[in-house]
Amino acid sequence: MDEAKAPVFEGAIDYTGAKLGMWLFILSELLLFGGMFILYTVYRYKSPADFHHASKELDVVLGTLNTIILLTSSLSVAVSITALQRGGRRLSAVLLMITMALGLLFLVNKGFEWTTKIGHGIYPNSPILLARPKGEILFFGLYYVMTGLHGLHVLVGVCVLCVMLILVAKDRINPMHFVPFENAGLYWHLVDIIWIFLYPLFYLIT
Amino acid sequence: MENREEKIHPPFPLSPEGRGRGEGELQMVKYRTYVFVWMGLVTLTILTYTVAVGIHPGGWAILVALAIAGTKSSLVLNYFMHLKSERLLIFKVIIPLVMAVFLVFILLTFSDVVFRGVVE
Repeated sequence: MDEAKAPVFEGAIDYTGAKLGMWLFILSELLLFGGMFILYTVYRYKSPADFHHASKELDVVLGTLNTIILLTSSLSVAVSITALQRGGRRLSAVLLMITMALGLLFLVNKGFEWTTKIGHGIYPNSPILLARPKGEILFFGLYYVMTGLHGLHVLVGVCVLCVMLILVAKDRINPMHFVPFENAGLYWHLVDIIWIFLYPLFYLIT
Repeated sequence: MENREEKIHPPFPLSPEGRGRGEGELQMVKYRTYVFVWMGLVTLTILTYTVAVGIHPGGWAILVALAIAGTKSSLVLNYFMHLKSERLLIFKVIIPLVMAVFLVFILLTFSDVVFRGVVE
């Protein structure tokens, strides 16, 4: 008997407990972003015109494209998990790689967007930005903090999915044991949901 | 070859009451369902873009945008995150609970922001 191939399970594993733990973490994340959404709402309520003007400077097409990229990555990770559960390890791995590629593509687009803005002299505490009305300074402050924190989550998500890919390749995650993979998927969908709200609030102020 | 046996059988007993349905449960989800949900999500994204850029609904804009975002996230929560097929009560109440907490925060914050300086 190969020691390394010994069964992973000694009886029952707490599937529900593992998933509930992940959900509690997700809720704390929602409230973390929720706090910033409240901040956004208050400042927007106080200076609607400034938010409107500042929002017009963002690239709506790029924002929409990034939304579709993230939605598609959510689809690919969901199908990847189901594929693994059905025993399609190769399909699952390919879809995982597609998901990671889409996540990275999102970050590349975000990078272009930030670089363009910074190139125009608009970044926190920049002289050009500080010369503008107060509401616009607040808008761009929130823009950098919220999309930045979200981007960080995307990066972490890609790393987590990379670990999942390794585990799938090693058969450590398989149709009999996939809770970690499912939880990683939940995290990725959370990142998607946060973006679903960031997108209209920053890009679509009319 | 005991190890092989261990791999083939579920690591916990499967019973009809749903106890320990565990990791076998989600195999029911069809690829097609996911693709339909994704199509819905993309359609709603295009819709929210069109409404904001093309129609300019004025004062209602933010409400329309948030309603669409809410619909989209409920699709993600229910189908991609499987909340719809969860049977345990805790998974049913978990999102309404966090929304309620969030609503309390919003109301408290705005009752301060709106009425500060008015009541004095």
